[in-house]
Amino acid sequence: MGDAATALRGELRQLVADQLPPNFLGAFTDDPADLDVTQNFCRLLAERGLLCLAWPPEYGGRGASLWEQTVVREEMWAHHEPRGAQYMGVNWVGPTIMRHGTPEQKLRHLPAIARGEVIWCQGFSEPNAGSDLASLRTAARRDGDVWRITGQKIWTSYATMAQWCFLLARTSRGEKKQHGITVFLVPMSSPGIEVRPIRSILGPHHLNEVFFDDLQVTEEDVLGRVDEGWQVAQEVLAFERVGIARYARCERLLLAAPAALGDEWDELPAELRARWARMLMHCRRARLLAYRVVAHQGEGRVRPGEAAPYRIAVTRLDQDSAEVLMEIVGHASVSGEAAERFRQEVEDHWRYSRASTVASGSIEMQRILLARSMLSGGRTPPDGSARLAVA
Amino acid sequence: MNIELSDEAGEFGRQALLAFEQAGGDALVAIAEAEPDRRESLVAPVLSELGAWQLDPRGDAAELEAAAALCRSAGYWAVPYPVAERLARPADLDADGLLVVAGPRPSASVAGLSLRWAAVTLDGRRSLAKARVPAEPARLSAFVTELDLAPADENGAKDVALGLVLPCWTLLGMLDRAIQLAREHVLVREQFGHPLSSFQSVQFQLTDAEVERSGVEALAKYALWSIQDDIPETVEDALALRLAAVEAAATVFAVAHQLFGALGFCDETSLSWLSRYSEPLRRLPLGRTATLEELTRRLGRRGLTGLYSGPAASSLGVAS
Repeated sequence: MGDAATALRGELRQLVADQLPPNFLGAFTDDPADLDVTQNFCRLLAERGLLCLAWPPEYGGRGASLWEQTVVREEMWAHHEPRGAQYMGVNWVGPTIMRHGTPEQKLRHLPAIARGEVIWCQGFSEPNAGSDLASLRTAARRDGDVWRITGQKIWTSYATMAQWCFLLARTSRGEKKQHGITVFLVPMSSPGIEVRPIRSILGPHHLNEVFFDDLQVTEEDVLGRVDEGWQVAQEVLAFERVGIARYARCERLLLAAPAALGDEWDELPAELRARWARMLMHCRRARLLAYRVVAHQGEGRVRPGEAAPYRIAVTRLDQDSAEVLMEIVGHASVSGEAAERFRQEVEDHWRYSRASTVASGSIEMQRILLARSMLSGGRTPPDGSARLAVA
Repeated sequence: MNIELSDEAGEFGRQALLAFEQAGGDALVAIAEAEPDRRESLVAPVLSELGAWQLDPRGDAAELEAAAALCRSAGYWAVPYPVAERLARPADLDADGLLVVAGPRPSASVAGLSLRWAAVTLDGRRSLAKARVPAEPARLSAFVTELDLAPADENGAKDVALGLVLPCWTLLGMLDRAIQLAREHVLVREQFGHPLSSFQSVQFQLTDAEVERSGVEALAKYALWSIQDDIPETVEDALALRLAAVEAAATVFAVAHQLFGALGFCDETSLSWLSRYSEPLRRLPLGRTATLEELTRRLGRRGLTGLYSGPAASSLGVAS
């Protein structure tokens, strides 16, 4: 990965060790202090130039390499994403505004994201438009100088905390359902928006419904061209192509298990220890598949079908490793603060992993993308063509 | 490490694919099975022509990659010859090839060849090995035969990883081919008026196989890097690869057979031969369960080297 990436990993681990309380499990708990932890952590990252590492220097970033970005993804996810809701603004809202925003939009939004001061939510999924996103029905109607928006979004993470929403709405009906969609940058404090939290297995503040009842926004809130938002949405999804580095948390927890159990580790059933070893192999497998996608990204030649084997492997790993870890802690009788903390981490990992084959593009969509790539001739016989430097 | 093989190794692999194809391709294994005495003469000249025996996989990183690419190409055509085992030959024993052995009845797929073998156990004990005359014809044995071992020394620690990893590259080539065959079949075979490839259940089986194959490809390259850098965990890395490869083979061949239907069992299809001749690679020196047991034993409480093994994890107060 290179010296810069290795140094960055060390810096991030030190920050995590110094700044996060030992029992931190992310921003979505019932304890409001956890949200404060993430906000403070983001401000600290911003002060050190680490929050928007990947952004170009003209927008306050460092222009970090893809490998440095990979390190950030790994270290943050491994430690329960201490950036909380901020990662969306940094990962794709900001870069999309850089590409499609007006000078006024860039000035308004980018510095606030770069300082870690603003939370965004993603207004994409609807009750009848999940994997089939282009079927969305939330409608925006032009009325003189304003747009009037009515409709419903669902599964909207961070909506209770967010100040802004990156919203997809239908502005016309074209020949194809992908036509006639527009992106709006909507202040969540506007009249006409109601957020209803959905209590879920993922944590009390994770999922929400968002209702838009004659919400009024202006032309200045349109990102890109009217009716051409589908292309923007595709770019957003491309930013997320590598996705969450789930393998990093799986590996960290698996490797922490023997120490957390102490002497009881040796008394685990042999089959369970073998499943643990097998999961470690799967962690490595997923990590290497992720690195292959990153390497291809660096060459500008990654297509959705090429990232799919990684996405499928890592989401399955997430769930399988959670099952193994839950069984391991179930066998342990050890008490003490460290053991209890480990048990809580595993329990959180297990709950959260239930959604990994659904969130950010379901595993079925990944299989469809991969099948399309395979059957259209996307695969070639073995040739080991490109030489790609990883480390 | 580099995530993929070098351009040079890739090109060498392509040349080998072509050379094996010109020498008979799919027919090679069928001829060898029918006329076992021709096994060596069918394949050895092709390998000599390719310069296989000039490769020094132990001494040169680029040549190790070339050797891996060659094994993969041999697997693709189910070449009936122990290419990987010959490429892994020890530098300091008078032998033509190296076999990793385990269990009470050491065996290998080397029947009927006039070659001198060295064998090494997983704990590094080396022997000179002689292949017995097989009890069964190749049709049933896939050239597997028991070995008579004459102990030589205990200096084989560095032989084990190479001896495990190169055959995994052969198996990877077989997985490449099995998926390619399944893909081509579902594109042309029609049922209920549609190509099989139009059915999502078929597509998803194919993707399951491809995810497994991709994972082996990634781990196989990692294992080469581990050997090249001579890191202390190199045998663990080889066993992790072997576990992934054996698991993947079970999935890939099950999927390929299912998608081919009854046709896939017939000798007229390449899949049938590939499937049968993958079996020794999947079973020897250790099958899935024994490979996992050995990996687990070696990992102990430490685990597989990764992002959070070693001092980093404890410094976070997680594993302390």
